[in-house]
Amino acid sequence: MTTAEAVIQIRGLRKSYDGVHALRDINLDVAQAEIHAICGENGAGKSTLIKMLSGIVRADTGHITVSGTQLLTGSVQASESLGIAVMHQESAAFPHLNAIENLFVGRELTRCGGLYLNHIAMKSQTERLLQRLGVSVDLRVPVGELPLAQRQMVALARVLSRNCRLLIMDEPTASLSNRESQTLLRIVQQLQISGVTVLYVSHRLDEVFQIADRVTVLRDGRHVATHRIADVDRQQLICDMVGRSIEEQHRPRAHATDDSAVILDVTQLTRCGVFEDISFHVRAGEILGLTGLVGAGRSEIARAIFGIDEFDEGEVRVSGRKLKGGSVQDAMASGIGMVPEDRQHEGLILPMSVGENLSLAMLRGLTHWGLIRRRAERDLTDAQIRDLSVKAASSRIAAATLSGGNQQKLVLGKWLARKPKVLILDEPTRGVDVGAKSQVHGLIRNLASTGMATLLISSDLPELLALCDRLLVVRNGRIVGELQGRTATQEAVLSLALPDAAGLQLREAQQ
Amino acid sequence: MSNLLPPIGHALRPARFGVRFSKLVRQRETGLLLLIVLTCVVVGIKDIHFLSCEVWREILVRCAATAIVACGVMLVVVTGEIDISVGSLMALLAAVMGRMISEHEWDISCWIGIPATLGLGTLIGVFTGCLVSVGRVPSIIVTLGLLTALRGLTTLIMGGQNIDRLPEGLTQLAKQGLCGVPLSILAAVGVIGLTSVLIHHIPLGRRLYALGSSAESARMAGLSAVRLKLFVFGYTGFLTALATIVDVPRLPKIEAGIGSEFELLVITCVVVGGVAISGGHGRLSGVLLAVVLMTMIRPVLTFMDIGEAGEKWTRAIQGMFILLAVVTDSFFLRRQRSSGGEHTA
Repeated sequence: MTTAEAVIQIRGLRKSYDGVHALRDINLDVAQAEIHAICGENGAGKSTLIKMLSGIVRADTGHITVSGTQLLTGSVQASESLGIAVMHQESAAFPHLNAIENLFVGRELTRCGGLYLNHIAMKSQTERLLQRLGVSVDLRVPVGELPLAQRQMVALARVLSRNCRLLIMDEPTASLSNRESQTLLRIVQQLQISGVTVLYVSHRLDEVFQIADRVTVLRDGRHVATHRIADVDRQQLICDMVGRSIEEQHRPRAHATDDSAVILDVTQLTRCGVFEDISFHVRAGEILGLTGLVGAGRSEIARAIFGIDEFDEGEVRVSGRKLKGGSVQDAMASGIGMVPEDRQHEGLILPMSVGENLSLAMLRGLTHWGLIRRRAERDLTDAQIRDLSVKAASSRIAAATLSGGNQQKLVLGKWLARKPKVLILDEPTRGVDVGAKSQVHGLIRNLASTGMATLLISSDLPELLALCDRLLVVRNGRIVGELQGRTATQEAVLSLALPDAAGLQLREAQQ
Repeated sequence: MSNLLPPIGHALRPARFGVRFSKLVRQRETGLLLLIVLTCVVVGIKDIHFLSCEVWREILVRCAATAIVACGVMLVVVTGEIDISVGSLMALLAAVMGRMISEHEWDISCWIGIPATLGLGTLIGVFTGCLVSVGRVPSIIVTLGLLTALRGLTTLIMGGQNIDRLPEGLTQLAKQGLCGVPLSILAAVGVIGLTSVLIHHIPLGRRLYALGSSAESARMAGLSAVRLKLFVFGYTGFLTALATIVDVPRLPKIEAGIGSEFELLVITCVVVGGVAISGGHGRLSGVLLAVVLMTMIRPVLTFMDIGEAGEKWTRAIQGMFILLAVVTDSFFLRRQRSSGGEHTA
C-alpha cells in the first residue's frame, strides 16, 4: 500500500517516561477504510500509541498526520475534531448517567438557540443508533448498572454518534462472550464498509485473522513488522511478538528439592466470576511463577491469598495452618508478605521518609513502652539501605524522591526485615530500568535461598524464565498449565496464555 | 444498515410491579416523605394546631434560605467538591449589605446596595472556584479557610456593633411579602425552578453530573472541569447572597454571629437528601424534602412540649439523620453490588 492513499501517517513517533522508552521511532501508515490490527505483548507500547492518537498523551518527537492535516498530540479536542474516537476496554464512560446522557455528553442536542436540551431528538437518535447495532438497552438505567456487554454497546454507540472517521478499539471483546464478540466484529466490518478506518488492538489472534486487512506488531516500544493478513500465519505473528529468545545464563538453580517442606498450600480456591479451582503449592526456597495475560486473574488470586479480597470456596494453608479468608492481618500473622503491583499507591507511603517506610512494617519490634526507639530505628534502616544498595542521600528523605527501581528495592526491603515465610511479588520490575532490574532479581534470588517460598507474578516472560523453578499459566481465571522453569520457553508459555484458537493451534503444533 | 445481527441483552419490557416497587422504596424521596407525613400525623394528633396554616407558613419561611443555598451546594457536591463556607459568606454579606443600606450607616439606596451584595457574593464564589479548579487546592481546604477568614472579616466590618434600622420597605417586603407571600418564599420558588431547569434541560447541568461521575471520562469527552467548577461555586455564592437579602431583613438586627453553623445545616440537607458525597448522583427533590424535614425538627420539638430540652435535642436529631442517611446508602450500595456481581458471573 502506498503512502499516497494512507489516511493516517505516523512518522518517527517517540515517547519516554522518566527515561524508560514506551515508544521509539514508530512509523506506520493506515489506509482509508482499512481494519488495521495492532498486536504485541503487555507493555509493548500499544496503549501509549492509542493514548497519543486520542490526545491524552503528548509525543516527545515525531508527528501524526490525519488526511493531510497534522495532529497536535496532547489535546483531546484536536483529536476529536479530526474524527478520531477511542473505544476503551471497559468504558462505562459515566456510570451514573443513563445511555442517552452518556451518548451526548459534551455535544448535547439543543433547541432554542443552544439553550435548551432537546430530549426527544437525543432519545430518538440513541434508539436509532442502538437499533442499528442490534441492541436493546434500558435507556432509563444508569449505565453503571447495565451488564458489561450492553455497556460496551453503549460505548460503541457513543463513538458512532460522533461521526468518527478513525475508530480505535482497545481490546473491545475482552469482557464479551463469544457470541457477543461475533456481533461486535460484524458491526466493525459494517463500519468498514461505510468508510470508517479501524485500528483494532487485541490479544485474540483469531479475531485479528477474521477481520483485519493488515496487522502491525509492536515489541518493547518498537515497530517490528507490518504484514498483510494474507501473507502471515499465527506462528509468524507470535514469533514477532515474542522476539529474540532469551539469554541462557540466567537459568535458575533449584533452591528447593522435592522433599523441601510445603510452605504455601492453596487448594481449590474459587472466587465466583473471577477465578476458579486454583490449586498449587510452593515449597521452602522455591520460586513459583504465575503468569498469563493482563486480566486473566493473576493479581486477583494473589489478592485473595493475602486476604485483601474474600474468596468463595477453597482454602489457603501456610505451613499447615489454615488461613481465615479475607483477613490481611491473619495472612500477615501466619507469615505471608506481599509486594503489590501498584507500589506507588499500595506498597509505599510516598510522602514519608525512606527510613519510616522501612520500619513501618515492623514498628512493634522497635517500641519500648509503646514509644518508638528512634536510635534503634535509625540503626536498622541505615543498615537496610546499605544492604539493599538503595540510592538515597539519607534515610530521612521522602520516598517519593527516589527512582522507580529504588522504590521497588525499598518495598522488598520492608518485607525482608519481617522475614516472611511466603513472599508474593506482583510485577516486581514493571517500569524499572535495566540496572535496577537485575539488582531486584538478585534480591529475589537471595530471599529464596534463605528458604522463603516465593510466588512471582509477572508478564515479563524473560524475567519469569530466569527466576522461576516452576511456572503456572492462568487463563480466564483457571490454571491451564504447569511448566518447569528449566525447560519452559516463551512460546510454550504464550501458547498456553493466549485465549483462543491461536493458542490452541500453537499447542497442537508443538505436540 | 440491515438488522440481521443477534440481539444483545434483553428486549425492552415494562418493569414488573415488584421491580418498580423496590425502586420506589430505594428512592430517598419516598423515605423522607414518609417521615415528614408520619411526624405530622403524630404531632397533629397531640396538637391539631400543628397542622394550621400559620405554623406551616412559618416553617416554610424558615426553609426558604436553606433551600436556596442548598440548590447551589448540591451542585457543588454533584461535581465532587464541597463548600463549607456558606454560613460565613452569609454573615459577611449581611454585614456589608447592612452597612450599605441601613439608615444608621451609609444609607445608600437599596437599588444599589442589593445588586452590589449579589455581585460580591458571586465574586467570592468565583474566587473560591478559581482556587479549587485553577489552583487545584482541595475544596474542603479552600472553603475551610474561607469559613474562618470570612467570619473574621465580618467581625472587622461590624466593629463590635450590631446593625439595625434596615430600610422600612425591605423589612416589610421580607416579613409580609407580595400579596401575603413572604419574599424569601418567592425567591426560593424561583431558585428551585431555575435549578430544576438547569439540571434537567440545560447542557451545563448535564455536564456537572458527568464531571462528578467520572472526571477522567469528562476530560476525554472534552469538557472543561475548570469552567464547570467556576460555575458551581459562583452559582453558590450568588444564591448565598440572594438568601441573605431575602432572609436577613426579617431579623430585628444584624449580629456578627449570624449564619453560624448554617453551612452544616445545608450540607446535612444535601447528604440526607441523597446526593452522593463522591459526586455524580443526586436529585433536587430529595434535597428539598430533606430541607423541610430538617427545618421541622425544632417546631416539632416545641409542639411536643419538651420545654428547655427541645433546644438541645434539635442538633442531636439532625446528627442522627445524617448517620441514618449514610447507613441506608451503604446498605443499598452493598445490596446493589452483590446483585451486580450475579449479573457478570
